Amino acid sequence: MAKSNPPFMSGVPELLLLRLLDNREMYGYELVRSIKEVTGEAISLGEGVIYPVLHSLERNGSLKSRRKPVGGRTRVYYSLTKQGRGRLQDLQDDWRRIQNGIETALESPGHA
Amino acid sequence: MREPDFNDLVTRLVQSGIAPRHAHRTVSEIRDHYDDLVDAAVNDGASSREARRQAAVELGGIDDLVSAMSARRELKAWPYRYPRTALVVYPLACLAVLPAVPVNAGIANAPLLARWGASLVAAGLFTAALLLVLQLSILFG
Repeated sequence: MAKSNPPFMSGVPELLLLRLLDNREMYGYELVRSIKEVTGEAISLGEGVIYPVLHSLERNGSLKSRRKPVGGRTRVYYSLTKQGRGRLQDLQDDWRRIQNGIETALESPGHA
Repeated sequence: MREPDFNDLVTRLVQSGIAPRHAHRTVSEIRDHYDDLVDAAVNDGASSREARRQAAVELGGIDDLVSAMSARRELKAWPYRYPRTALVVYPLACLAVLPAVPVNAGIANAPLLARWGASLVAAGLFTAALLLVLQLSILFG
């Protein structure tokens, strides 16, 4: 079984989903696979729990969805909206700020 | 691990307050996701039974899915998001709808109501005619 993600990962699924959907539209299964691939399996989202995140992002206007029949199945493809791009930018800025802060703290343990 | 019971998942999501449209759509997507996981395992050489077992494990437990959905207030039906408003709106809506109930029942049973009305009119006319005959027989009898 995959190692579970620590509690401080809150907000990371949202960031990753928005980042991946910034490139092209994708469906749930494809997104989970892509997250594993781009993070080198360091981050593994629960296969099923990705959908509440996607639905919440769609509800707040960051994503839009469309149904597309593929190989006998109707897949729900998600894509980023203009509002979603703004949200992605904000999350990236937040993440870099936190990352820089933690790196600074780790490099100078005596002052942490 | 057994194959997930998707019908049970819909029921549990709705019972936990998730809006029915979100519950149905989520389960439909999860069902497709499960089928994709089974296909991938079969393509990797697993037997059909083993592929289903692996897919169920990767998908996660039903309890986890219900918890993940329930944790998102924005996916809940509005009476769960605004319970105080619902406490006021629902009784008022019932009061507003109450007078319309007999009218709706009348429309739904229009033929029956028409027969009943016609019977009442016919009975009234028959009684009036009978009284008229009696009156005339007293007058000219």
